Amino acid sequence: MKTILEAIDVKKIYKVGRVEVPALRGVSLKMREGEFISIMGPSGCGKSTLLHILGGLTHPSEGKVIVDGEEISSAKDAARTDIRRRKIGFVFQRYNLLPTLSAQGNLDIAREIFKNGRAHDEHTKEILELLGLDHKTKHKPSEMSGGEQQRVAIARAVINRPAILLADEPTGNLDSENSQAVLSLLQELNRTLNQSIIMITHNPEAAAVANRLVQMRDGRIISYEHDLSWNAREDKIYI
Amino acid sequence: MEVVLIILVVGMTRGMIKESAKRIEGIGADIVFQPPGSSYILASSTAAMLEKIAGVIQETEGVDAVAPVMVQFNTQGGIGLIYGIDVASFDRVTNGFSFIQGRAFRAPDEVIIDDIQAKSKRLQVGDRVDFLNHSFRVSGIFEHGKGSRIFLPLRTMQELTGTPGKVTLIFIKCKDKEEIPAVSSRLRERFKGYTVSPLSEFVSQVYNATNNVAALKYFLNVVIFVCTSVGFFAIFLAMYTAVTERKREIGILKSLGASRPYVLAIFLKEAFVLCTVGLALGIALSFWGKALLLRVLPSFQVEIGLDWIVKAALIAFLSAGLGAFYPALRASSQDPIDALAE
Repeated sequence: MKTILEAIDVKKIYKVGRVEVPALRGVSLKMREGEFISIMGPSGCGKSTLLHILGGLTHPSEGKVIVDGEEISSAKDAARTDIRRRKIGFVFQRYNLLPTLSAQGNLDIAREIFKNGRAHDEHTKEILELLGLDHKTKHKPSEMSGGEQQRVAIARAVINRPAILLADEPTGNLDSENSQAVLSLLQELNRTLNQSIIMITHNPEAAAVANRLVQMRDGRIISYEHDLSWNAREDKIYI
Repeated sequence: MEVVLIILVVGMTRGMIKESAKRIEGIGADIVFQPPGSSYILASSTAAMLEKIAGVIQETEGVDAVAPVMVQFNTQGGIGLIYGIDVASFDRVTNGFSFIQGRAFRAPDEVIIDDIQAKSKRLQVGDRVDFLNHSFRVSGIFEHGKGSRIFLPLRTMQELTGTPGKVTLIFIKCKDKEEIPAVSSRLRERFKGYTVSPLSEFVSQVYNATNNVAALKYFLNVVIFVCTSVGFFAIFLAMYTAVTERKREIGILKSLGASRPYVLAIFLKEAFVLCTVGLALGIALSFWGKALLLRVLPSFQVEIGLDWIVKAALIAFLSAGLGAFYPALRASSQDPIDALAE
């Protein structure tokens, strides 16, 4: 199975005045297509920083990140934006829907930005139905519950069939019922559409829906846990 | 506001000049004779010519009638020109006034005014009015379009301005319209240095005053510059505020993969829409302003031409584009992580 994402010895140092704050101290990670990885760790361990670097929202101080065969880490802003547009979908804790647009409008703008490259109506319909949103297309975010907003955000993130979906605490602002619904959706996307997903979470129960768990602390990966059933398919140990 | 100011200020300037030119045309003379160095902007002229010259001009071959006139710029009871005339000679050149009320002046302290001036100042025959720090009685109200809105006896004007025996210009009527060029040549030959202008040429110069008179051109350019600056800063502030308030949205768009040109285009398009709405409103308000001015100040003529509407539109779009560019550039350069952290 092909490697969809590879991070090689990624470091990130922030300068706060004269003080250098290392957020990541050398993180390496390889992800196969179709995997669902959870990254857990205490606050300040560098999970979000890692996600931002993997998604091309910022670049590392050292190291390499390759997304679906394209190096994103050393690319200039325009090139990183281009890779992010084509290959990466984001889901955030605060949903981050555009408040003046309806659910459909939020999806449309994602398609517009993608320039309708690969998106097509059948796929949109499939996504909306899969996420149970066909009755909410005209509603604005203020007219939807948290769970519905997050489902729209997920729909927007996958509408253009990105290589990887990056989810930053997707259930952080949801109650247990909605959290479960969102996690089930992510699982369904992973199973049905073979969507590769990296999810950051504090919640061990949320993390358990993934088939690989990565633990971080102090800017480093300290352990990997695998779903044995996944590894049995490949007959490999994969880090 | 930028559009309204440009259209109305230019409109008032052009309207006043055009109306002034029409009234000069309405005198019906064939040639305008002025002292050396005179301007066709009569407000800037001074009485610098002997009245006796009119008698010599009368003897010139081809001349039918002459009317010496003193022109004085008036700021009392309104802004405009006052003509000091000898009624008899003026009537011979212009075929006389069409009186709506009353008659021409017969006494030194009588004045005649046109119907627009009368309406503007709510004057009737018999009312008293002050010009040149002197009280006059309105003896007649005539139909507008004959040079000035206010006429005084020439002798009175000369006394009040301390320039006895002097006039500003002389209107000349030829025996035959075909002879105008020949008469003009004779007058130039006889009175070297004096300004001899066929009326059509004189009026044409007045119509083009906004292009030909440096001071006027400068004034209009300053007004346009100020209006453009107003527009620029208005759009700049509006877009800068929009960028600041929508930082998070910009972050969302960037996380979706929106490029810098895409984000830049969003804000420039918004500025364009704002400008278009402002332009439409500005044009509508300009026409309303014109109607209001005509109602409140009937002597104020405003001409709103398509050429200046187009120019105002171009200026508006240019200032909007420039005003929006920096905020749009700032928006497109925002760090998505910082923006999403808002």
